[in-house]
Amino acid sequence: MAVPAITGKGAAEQPAAPFLLPKKTLARRRGRVGLWFVMPWIIGFLLWYAIPMLASLWFSFTDFNLVSNEPTEFIGLENWAKLFSDPDVRASVLVTARFGLIALPVAVLFPMGLAYLLVKKNLRGRETFRALFFMPSIIPFVAAVLIFGGVMNSQIGWVNKILELVGIDGPRWFLDKTYVYPALVFIGLWGVGNAMIIFIASMNSVPSTLYDAAKIDGASEWQSFRHVTLPLISPIIFYNLVIALIGLFNYFVVPFVLYNGSGDPGGATNFYALYFFRVGFQFFNMGYAATLAWALFVAAIAITGLLFWSAKYWVHYEYGRS
Amino acid sequence: MKRWNSVAVVVALMMVIAACGGETGSETTTTTGDTVGTEAPTTTSGDTAEEPSGDRTQIRWFVGIGAGGQPEQAEAQNAVVEEFNASQDEIELVIEIVDNDVAYETLATQIASDNPPDIIGPVGRDGSNAFSGLYLDLEPLVESTGFDTSIWPDETIENFREPDGTLPGLPFASFPSFIFFNKALFDEAGLPYPPQEYGPDGVSVYGEGTEYEGTWDFNKVAEIGAILAVDANGNDATSPDFDGNNTTQWGFVWQWTDRLFQQGSFWGAGYPMADDGTADVPQTWEDEWKWYHDAVWGTGFAPGQEELDALGGNAFQSGAVAMAGTHLWYTCCVRDDANNIPGDFFDLAVMPSNNGVVTTNMHADTFRILASTQHPDEAFAVLDYLLTDAALQLLTAYGAAPADPTLTEDFFASLDERYPQGVNWQVALDSAAYADVPSHEQFLPGWEQYKEAMDTLQSGLLTDPELDLDAAIPELEANLTAIFEENAE
Amino acid sequence: MAVTVRRPGQNLRRPPVASSGSMPGKRRLFEGWLITAFTTLVLIVFLMPMGYMAVTSLKSEQQLANLTGPILPMSPATFEYEGRQLDMMTVPMPDGSEMELAMLQPGRQVSQFIDPANPEAGPIQWEGNWRILQPAYELDPQWQNFPRAWENMKFPLLLRNTLIIAGLGTLGAVASSILVGYGLSRFNVPFSRTIMIVLIATIILPGFATLVPKYALFYRIGWVGTFLPLIVPHFFANAFNVFLLRQYFLTIPRELDEAAIIDGAGPFRTLWSVILPQMKAAIVAVSLFHFYFAWNDFFEPMIYLSARADLQPISVGLRTFNTLYDSQPNLIQSGSLLALIIPVVVFLFAQRVFLQGIDLSGVQK
Repeated sequence: MAVPAITGKGAAEQPAAPFLLPKKTLARRRGRVGLWFVMPWIIGFLLWYAIPMLASLWFSFTDFNLVSNEPTEFIGLENWAKLFSDPDVRASVLVTARFGLIALPVAVLFPMGLAYLLVKKNLRGRETFRALFFMPSIIPFVAAVLIFGGVMNSQIGWVNKILELVGIDGPRWFLDKTYVYPALVFIGLWGVGNAMIIFIASMNSVPSTLYDAAKIDGASEWQSFRHVTLPLISPIIFYNLVIALIGLFNYFVVPFVLYNGSGDPGGATNFYALYFFRVGFQFFNMGYAATLAWALFVAAIAITGLLFWSAKYWVHYEYGRS
Repeated sequence: MKRWNSVAVVVALMMVIAACGGETGSETTTTTGDTVGTEAPTTTSGDTAEEPSGDRTQIRWFVGIGAGGQPEQAEAQNAVVEEFNASQDEIELVIEIVDNDVAYETLATQIASDNPPDIIGPVGRDGSNAFSGLYLDLEPLVESTGFDTSIWPDETIENFREPDGTLPGLPFASFPSFIFFNKALFDEAGLPYPPQEYGPDGVSVYGEGTEYEGTWDFNKVAEIGAILAVDANGNDATSPDFDGNNTTQWGFVWQWTDRLFQQGSFWGAGYPMADDGTADVPQTWEDEWKWYHDAVWGTGFAPGQEELDALGGNAFQSGAVAMAGTHLWYTCCVRDDANNIPGDFFDLAVMPSNNGVVTTNMHADTFRILASTQHPDEAFAVLDYLLTDAALQLLTAYGAAPADPTLTEDFFASLDERYPQGVNWQVALDSAAYADVPSHEQFLPGWEQYKEAMDTLQSGLLTDPELDLDAAIPELEANLTAIFEENAE
Repeated sequence: MAVTVRRPGQNLRRPPVASSGSMPGKRRLFEGWLITAFTTLVLIVFLMPMGYMAVTSLKSEQQLANLTGPILPMSPATFEYEGRQLDMMTVPMPDGSEMELAMLQPGRQVSQFIDPANPEAGPIQWEGNWRILQPAYELDPQWQNFPRAWENMKFPLLLRNTLIIAGLGTLGAVASSILVGYGLSRFNVPFSRTIMIVLIATIILPGFATLVPKYALFYRIGWVGTFLPLIVPHFFANAFNVFLLRQYFLTIPRELDEAAIIDGAGPFRTLWSVILPQMKAAIVAVSLFHFYFAWNDFFEPMIYLSARADLQPISVGLRTFNTLYDSQPNLIQSGSLLALIIPVVVFLFAQRVFLQGIDLSGVQK
């Protein structure tokens, strides 16, 4: 087996004494060593997450109002009962699901496609292309929303002006209950930089020897993508899918700013997270808002869990375990 | 491995730029020291004291629920804070200016986390309603300090009294409403300017002695509005060839007064709740909503939502709208010398009447002390300063007419400096006589939910040509009834 | 071909092949052009809104308000007449010729013009609809928007704050996340599955649900009004980074570190000299992501630094141009473009690092 020479100069000298292990008990004690590495997160979790999370769970059983001077009272499952009869909950779940049907595939496939183009060896000016494709994801959020508000304005927007040139009467993007979803997805495209970079990095690390071998076997470009690239980058597809899903559950800032939190047009952007935010921070009903948040949490954990479970059937970890 | 060096270079470069960035280095270096050790944070260097303030009591002033966010306003406020801090050595006033987009959330978070500010404002009725019940009753402090309230007319003070008899606010600023009009656009259309004086019972006449002569009411506004609305080919809205999708100039807009309870109230004041606690939208409001929907989508002389967006929201200032119904605070945003659009194109006209009645919505802003304050006396001392010594300075920055009549002259003199063309400010003063009673911002249970329900219909009004208000209004009333009941005491 | 990616683990399985020599040079060249052309096309569509951004940043408010005006920042040429600036228009004359005249008084049926060549002659009457006339536009970009945004925002101060928050936060986030990701993927940590789930859970619960208790917590320990709430928590790893790094750790052959351990290397040394060199790309990526996140994060700095204008970052400063009533889209865009410079430079630097890092990782031995 090819063992790489450990060439570390300065760093390798560092005494790693507390963690140096007798070889025999290696297997048994590795777990505990690993725990030390995980410790920063455990401490951080206890410090910054555990208490606020538990507190918000507690809120969901109370009538906590952010700005009321009346004492907060324990009201049992009242909020949770309300959740199931609240028509706004049902509507906003549907809105979120409908948007997700378009947004999720795009959030994974678009950056993957871009990355595929941008790792092509015969693409001229690759570095510049990558930087340019990435650039929009660094543009401050206020600016981006204004830009798209302008570009997709049905009257003066560039998009519709260009469509006009080819004889299409462009839709009223942000005012139409149907077209608002593609419009939002289009805005979302500007945020794919991160996913694209991750895909590029992972595609780059697919050994070219494998492609060469595939070529010798007479595989077409598509076949070698399908049978070499895809399996090897599947952990990254998985990662991006999970992140996109979590992003979907929490999606509300763009429509919130675009429509001032109103859920326009005609409730088409009343996303679940938006509804939660309004209840909590516009109506100040934090008790019910916490309930909404925790209901989302439970559902999201279940769906994400399902994804993790499915991972063992389609995600291919070359050297590790799932 | 060498490649890591360039990362180091980048990091070092950043640190250098960071170091050069500003002068107040002391705070930041301690921060750096604290955080480098990964383990539990060591010190709580937190306290916001920047300069040694000795034993001064800190009073926090929160700005953002209403005016106060613009750079020039921020500057004026900062100057007031500095002057106040220099004027005495008991109290340290700290100002907090928060972007209006997130001001409600931020303030609510602070209140809920036991870290509330002492004073909030400037804030109008609308903003106050959101946090109703949290304000300190000022009456005992007025009495104990001997504060002289005679500088204001009694009825102005009584305006702030709550049904339970407490007095959680004192007069500071008032913003009457009227019409701003663009002189050049009237000249271009060959139309007479709108009237600048109220008639005997408020109702005035437009275009006396011209072919356009008639009562100055909203029908007249629609009539001349159509002439003032022009499409890209130069057709006005009275022409059959007028292209409403290609409008370049409009006749009228409710400039930032288009919330339904605002615009409705210009046609007649009312209260959308009946005695039995159910919702009942005043007839005048319903009429106005239909009128404005037709103005946007029928005749097309008022801009719809997308057109407003395209104009950057500030429609009248863009020069593309002939008349704007709005408040005195709009002087905030009709530019002056500081910017590249000269503010010399407009003058003021009186509010049109509806069925022989003139209604000018009134906004009254002030500063309020939160009841949770630990230092009511000190907070009141600051409030005193803001309402009296600093009043003129702040009012000028906010573009708000003084509640104290003795300041009126100075205030308008300062506006004349900004608008040397000679604006007829008397219109603003006269309009105050027709203020809306009850106020369009009179408190209703579930205020924020009420506003949201209203806003949903408003966005339909501004975006949906097909909106059927006859069907939508009963629906709105049903929603409002549910909100009122849910939030009833 | 110059660049081959070869990892020690792989070349055992399949012999390296002299690749791509088989493809005829001309066809390769053609394909390269095709791909480049296609990518350029995608890029143009993708960046089209940035063109709008750039144009907006160079317009005056007057130019912005002119909805049917030219796309580029142009203004009508003007002529000064009796102290007023008059717009120049191209006016068709009754004899069929065209003249550039200054518009003195527009009117619906009749407008008055001044001939700049002969202003003494007084106003010229012109019959017709002036709105169909083309203004004589000339390019008039408002470069001063940039210095204006710079000054209004107090850019240098905000830049310093942003760099401190983003720089230190990145340092902490990356270092801690590497350790945690390493621990989670390379050791049989007890409850590792639970830890993973809880880890992900922390980013599933909407942040606003825990905002109030979190703010209360930071307030109690006296951190409100300092950089600490924006920096310190990142020193304890976060889910996005850990999860991503873990995914990468799992793609690196275990035989490598096992071999290193057999050679007597401790876990730290294994991490440092065996694993990290293989993960440069991922580490640089994670650093970038955190840096950009912190660069643009708006809400947290806003609420924790609301009383400290002197500590606020650029993202908060940009909002000065977007107040309740008075938004200045041109300054927002020019300010945003200013804010973009450093992140883009960082990207270009970092890209060089992680590209070469990847392409050379197998060859360097």
